[in-house]
Amino acid sequence: MSMRRTDCEGFHRRDVLTIGSAGVLGLSLPAILAAEAKAANKRDVASTGKAKSVILLWLAGGPATIDMWDNKPDAPEGIRGEFKSIPTNVTGIQLAETFSKTAQVADKLTVVRSLYHTIPSHSPATVFMTTGNKPTAALQYPSMGSLASKLLKTDVGVPPYVTFGDIRNGTAGLAGYLGTGYNPFVIEGSAPQRGEGKAATGGFSVRGLSLKGTFTLEELEKRDSLLRKFDSGFAGADSSNDLVDGLDTFHQQALDILRSDKTRKALDLTAETAATREKYGATPFGQGALAARRLVEAGVRFSTVSFGGWDTHSQTFTAHKTRLAPTTDTVVSALVSDLADRGLLDSTIVMVAGEFGRTPKVNKNSGRDHWARSMACVLAGGGFKKGYVHGSTDASGMAPATEPVTPDDVASTIFRNLGIDPALELQTPTGRPIQLFREGKVIEKILA
Amino acid sequence: MLARRYLYALVAAIVAPGATYADEVKLPTGGSIKEVDFERHIMGLLSKVGCNAGSCHGSFQGKNGFRLSLFGYEPAMDYANLTRDNLGRRVNTQKPDESLLLQKATGSTYHDGGMRFGKDGWVYNVFREWIRSGAKWTRDSGEIKSLDVTPGDFALLKDAKPLQVTVKATFADGSVEDITPFCDFKITDDAVAALSPLGLLTPRQPGDAGLTVLYRGSVKAIRVLVPAPAKPGAYPAVSEVNYIDREVFAKLKMMNVVPSELSSDEMFLRRLYIDALAQLPTPDEVREFLKDKDAKKREKAIDKVLAHPLHAAVWATKLSDITGNNTQALEQPVNLQPKRSQMWHDWLRKRVADNVPYDQMVRDILTATSRDGLSPEEWIAFVKKIDEQTAKGPKTDYPNKQTLDLFWRRQQQVPAEQWSEKVAAAFMGVRLECAQCHKHPTDRWTQDEYWAFANVFTKMTFVQNQFSSPDVKKLVDAENAARRDAAPKANNNNNILLVRELFVGAQARPRPNPGTNSVPLPRALGGEVIKISPTEDPRVPLAKWLTAPENPFFAKSFVNRVWGHYFGVGLVNPIDDFSLANPPTNARLLDALAADFVKSGFDLRKLERTILLSRTYQLSYVPNDTNKFDKNNYSHAYIRPLMAEQVVDVLNAALGVDENFTGADAEFAGMKMVEVGSSRLVSSVSYALRIFGRPPRTTACDCERAMEPALPQTLFRMTDQNVLLKFNSATGRVRKMALSKATNEEIVEEAFLATLSRMPKELEKADAVEHLKTAKTRAEGVTDLVWALVNTREFILNH
Repeated sequence: MSMRRTDCEGFHRRDVLTIGSAGVLGLSLPAILAAEAKAANKRDVASTGKAKSVILLWLAGGPATIDMWDNKPDAPEGIRGEFKSIPTNVTGIQLAETFSKTAQVADKLTVVRSLYHTIPSHSPATVFMTTGNKPTAALQYPSMGSLASKLLKTDVGVPPYVTFGDIRNGTAGLAGYLGTGYNPFVIEGSAPQRGEGKAATGGFSVRGLSLKGTFTLEELEKRDSLLRKFDSGFAGADSSNDLVDGLDTFHQQALDILRSDKTRKALDLTAETAATREKYGATPFGQGALAARRLVEAGVRFSTVSFGGWDTHSQTFTAHKTRLAPTTDTVVSALVSDLADRGLLDSTIVMVAGEFGRTPKVNKNSGRDHWARSMACVLAGGGFKKGYVHGSTDASGMAPATEPVTPDDVASTIFRNLGIDPALELQTPTGRPIQLFREGKVIEKILA
Repeated sequence: MLARRYLYALVAAIVAPGATYADEVKLPTGGSIKEVDFERHIMGLLSKVGCNAGSCHGSFQGKNGFRLSLFGYEPAMDYANLTRDNLGRRVNTQKPDESLLLQKATGSTYHDGGMRFGKDGWVYNVFREWIRSGAKWTRDSGEIKSLDVTPGDFALLKDAKPLQVTVKATFADGSVEDITPFCDFKITDDAVAALSPLGLLTPRQPGDAGLTVLYRGSVKAIRVLVPAPAKPGAYPAVSEVNYIDREVFAKLKMMNVVPSELSSDEMFLRRLYIDALAQLPTPDEVREFLKDKDAKKREKAIDKVLAHPLHAAVWATKLSDITGNNTQALEQPVNLQPKRSQMWHDWLRKRVADNVPYDQMVRDILTATSRDGLSPEEWIAFVKKIDEQTAKGPKTDYPNKQTLDLFWRRQQQVPAEQWSEKVAAAFMGVRLECAQCHKHPTDRWTQDEYWAFANVFTKMTFVQNQFSSPDVKKLVDAENAARRDAAPKANNNNNILLVRELFVGAQARPRPNPGTNSVPLPRALGGEVIKISPTEDPRVPLAKWLTAPENPFFAKSFVNRVWGHYFGVGLVNPIDDFSLANPPTNARLLDALAADFVKSGFDLRKLERTILLSRTYQLSYVPNDTNKFDKNNYSHAYIRPLMAEQVVDVLNAALGVDENFTGADAEFAGMKMVEVGSSRLVSSVSYALRIFGRPPRTTACDCERAMEPALPQTLFRMTDQNVLLKFNSATGRVRKMALSKATNEEIVEEAFLATLSRMPKELEKADAVEHLKTAKTRAEGVTDLVWALVNTREFILNH
């Protein structure tokens, strides 16, 4: 980074507004005003870098990855779970038998078996995994999605970063020190029920980005023309006010978005064939993942789709068999193969992870408790190796045995594949320079 | 290695006669240096060209095998690393131009940090001459006694002429040197004046900016004033209500800036209600105020809002931010955390409502204990009463407790240094966090002062099974055993409300300064060592020091917060960043406010009254030709965004509805947003709070409250389902207006008064009436009208 004092020289606020680099959804006003928001500083994903988008399949509650991606059928009694391992379509890679569909797309995955951290508590662990920075009391780190929304270019009319529902009741997945402008757009509602076109009921929408019921576009235009008649006097009184000007820019953008049907069309799952919808499974997780794929096609940079219920302190194996594994197996395999079939996998990163793993030792309730010292996660697509297992845990799964990596490293590698230097410095509101991922190192061995 | 260098020097002396005489190096600001000094010149340049920045070689890991001390505080280390490390290749006294240092910095050899200076410039010559003359170091030659910046307090840039800032250093040996080109210069607003790297200021537009001079860890700041062009004719007379106006207008006059007109009655009332109550005046209140002929009607309105119950709630919200009322960090059980936050908020609210002196309130926070000197039995009885009340609703007797022990009661143990950072930020407006690891780059605080201050906070005890006396332990154990027995079996301790005690134990766990490994004795920040017996509470002398009238930070930091609340911009801005590098825009005014506040016995109500009565507060937001660029001298009211809580309450007031608190938030039903203490809400309002930037209160920084507008905020007002539902509320204003028998003209007037707190202008009225006439139904017409009004910029901004 060069000497800071030269950064702003010769740059006038109003120029930025009129240049219209503000055409990006989710920017905050100061970001538009600040010289930092110069469009040139944003990476043009179309021209360089392998990956353009990320879909995070978030397994909330802490999945027992020892019963999934790092199954240990040969471990001692009391540690090994109830599941056998099965071969996959890659010689030498085995997964738990509950993931038979995922086993058929293993040739497209990188399985990281040596991930670990040290925080066995849901909230801070969620922050760690979703930000790539160890949480501290002194600073709120931005989520990877918020960083993507700050650093990657996004087309007008499309939200850069969306989450299907909130993560941890809206306490994670947020913009932290970047400011509210980089928070995710929240997708509400549920997948449409069976039926085609108008016969379908329900449906996804982005909160604030869509009109509903009797409030039609026509109605909006009518109200807006009335609004124009009341809004000019105030603005005219102080014609050189950045804030007043900035709000008008946002108003124009809001109208552009509401008039555009890009996002609405992307979220209309009835445009998919019944076969595709069935492939993802008739679950909120599956239909969310399908919608996320459609959003990637529309230009969304980062989508998080959550699937909860992994906090299995008791009856881990029953929960996996009946509920967790079948859904996850279906969704992961469907998403990865669908992206591959459409030629999107090379430009889309899929990450499947939760906040921590679970104790290798099975407790007295046939459950597993929180365990952060070893866990596995699955990465696929944009810039990652295909059909590859990275690292290993020891015989009882307690800790990484080879190639230990941390959440910071995973985040760094993802951003490296998005074409963004993980050591890039941003400034906190107090002016402190801070690297994207302070302790992260790119995991070279999993790069394609 | 050393021997070899001597040899080189010897050889050099032999083969290049005359080389022992120093070559003068010409400086770009005039003059020259006869002898390049390592500390004075080389260390200065290492900072100035950025070599020792945190992202470069100043990083604790160094960069590419080369480390310098961060910001250049350790000459010994830097000298060693420059001259000896890496086989001495970094400086080559024999062939100076081949020194790696110069090759890298000029980009002749590949350098990750790029080219820092060119080969033909003065910076190169300084480095080169230092190397050529033997790369010597005289220990402590650069120890700074004082730094003098000319001009002194402010640089007045008149008549569009540039001005060179000069900096002279007096060193420990008594010598004085002009070190201007070796300093780093920064300006806070380069729209006001351009600043060259060598300290030349060129005015751009009328205004007021801060200029910081950094020289090897010393910091000086002055203000840069660019006056407006003088108007022909005399500066108009502006009436002054009190000393605030005197100080504000005096500075404006110096800058040829004329303040705006007095605000209209409508403007004034709306601003006052939003600032002081987070409410809008009702249409009837506006009408009455406009009708009132009393010359003192503004004063009456001010006294009315200051005595209003919601006024104390606004301050409880702000003080909740300041003191860190972070719901998620409070004790478990989780479902009781919002209730504890409410007690915290209500404790503060009662203090403000009762106008308890601010110093008293802060002492009762800083020295809080759970027992407040009650007997064990009395205390347990009080705790049980509170716990029973919390089961019923948000109102408890907690505000009657003398001290705010909740401030110190956190789910997870808070390290001493975080307490000191919180206290410094909250009550002194000082940001200390940099000094944890290195001397603060733009302030005076050293690591030793940091850890000495942290060590004031090593004696609080708040853990399971430890109590202030065996008697308390016995009683609590019995109570907790009963509570465990009564709880459902499946519950673990985290789900049971247990009695715990915050107290100050005899055992301290002081922390060493990691830089020196010695343990500094507890000291107030920049104050004396706190000498107390092992059983005493070090927070007591700290609180006494802090709240003393002569404390340099306490009164100033709070009056600055109050000022910032009513004007949108602090006299020191950001409002919690008092530092050497950040002088106030109007020091005389800040001093006067602080002195008045101390003299009044820290009377918040009186301070607010003085501010609100001033003409300065009551100026119009409409600028004139002379003051349209003003952003920090209060020549007109600043248009500013609302706090998230104000957005919720103001929107509800306009629409005539209560917030729809549901689910776990249902107990707050009927309350205004500013009355709610919890930072973690789960009902629909949480979305609005998030996008409008309500802080989670995790960090001790005012910057956590995001005030910047963003697109989702605009979309929220336009399309959000929860907002649209409020238009349709059966008891809301829109429905009532739609069903009323009033004429179209009356409806339009009511709608304008309810949203913008003013009468419609003629043209607006005609357009609105026309819209109502042509609408399919009156309900539709009224909905359109109110929607249009709440979506104006005039509605969502305070002005």
